[in-house]
Amino acid sequence: MSGVETVKIIVDAEKQAAKIIEDAQNRALQIRKRIDSSIRDQRQEMLSTARKDASEMIQQAEDEGKSEAEIYEKESAQRIRELVTSASAKKASTVEMLVNILFQSEK
Amino acid sequence: MSETSKFTEDILTAARSKARDIIGKADTETQSASEEARAGISREVDDIIRNARAEAEAVKRREISEARHRSKLQEQREKNAILSEVLDQTKKRVVDMTKDESRYFPYLTALIEVGIRELGHETALVHLNEADLRKVDRTMLERQLAKELGRTIKIDWAKEPVEAMGGAVISSSDGKTRIVNTLDQRFDALEPKLLIEARKSLFGE
Repeated sequence: MSGVETVKIIVDAEKQAAKIIEDAQNRALQIRKRIDSSIRDQRQEMLSTARKDASEMIQQAEDEGKSEAEIYEKESAQRIRELVTSASAKKASTVEMLVNILFQSEK
Repeated sequence: MSETSKFTEDILTAARSKARDIIGKADTETQSASEEARAGISREVDDIIRNARAEAEAVKRREISEARHRSKLQEQREKNAILSEVLDQTKKRVVDMTKDESRYFPYLTALIEVGIRELGHETALVHLNEADLRKVDRTMLERQLAKELGRTIKIDWAKEPVEAMGGAVISSSDGKTRIVNTLDQRFDALEPKLLIEARKSLFGE
């Protein structure tokens, strides 16, 4: 092998080595680029799911609250009806008692 | 292997090794960035869920609290309506009672007696309503007053009736001092007590 041929082989090898490194650098760049978009997509998906869960959680709580409130108001309405019935039965005796208080206030 | 081949092989081996390092470093960096990002996103998710839990609890509490408030107002309205009706009926009953002389006369006497004592004068001008001016035996009333007061007071009876359900207005002869002891005034003065007693009787409060 002549000296020229030897130099050519070495130059080719160095070109090949430079290509290998350049390819690796390009791949590394692609990996870094990919991770940015991957993180962005992942964040968007996770936050979107969390927001949906949060919204459902609040809606469910509102429904439960309305349901409990309805039960409470029904029970309360019944209790008020009983209270009015009971008080109405005592009106006459209460009036007499108040009249007595009034008439005895100066005695 | 020739020296040249060995040399070129060394160049390529070194290049491949460096390439592996470059890619390995990129992998390590991205893995680390990914883990860090995931931790950050998890914190954001936790915040969203924690805030949602707090809001959900508050929403539920508010629904129930508003229902309680509405019920309480309704109960209060019903109670007030009954109390108001009872006070109105009491007023009407009091007016009826003024027609029962055996019950009303001692009360009227007491109202005038208290007025005279408060006035503290030796003479008093007593104002009655129209019905009492007509029906009350004033001589008997003066006698009863003297007995209750333990002394005789000169009482003048005003000819102009007062606008009242009953009772009397006792004033000094010159009209400068007036003690209002009408049933209306007694009713107004006693209304807080009447309401308390009515609440106890009607609602057990």
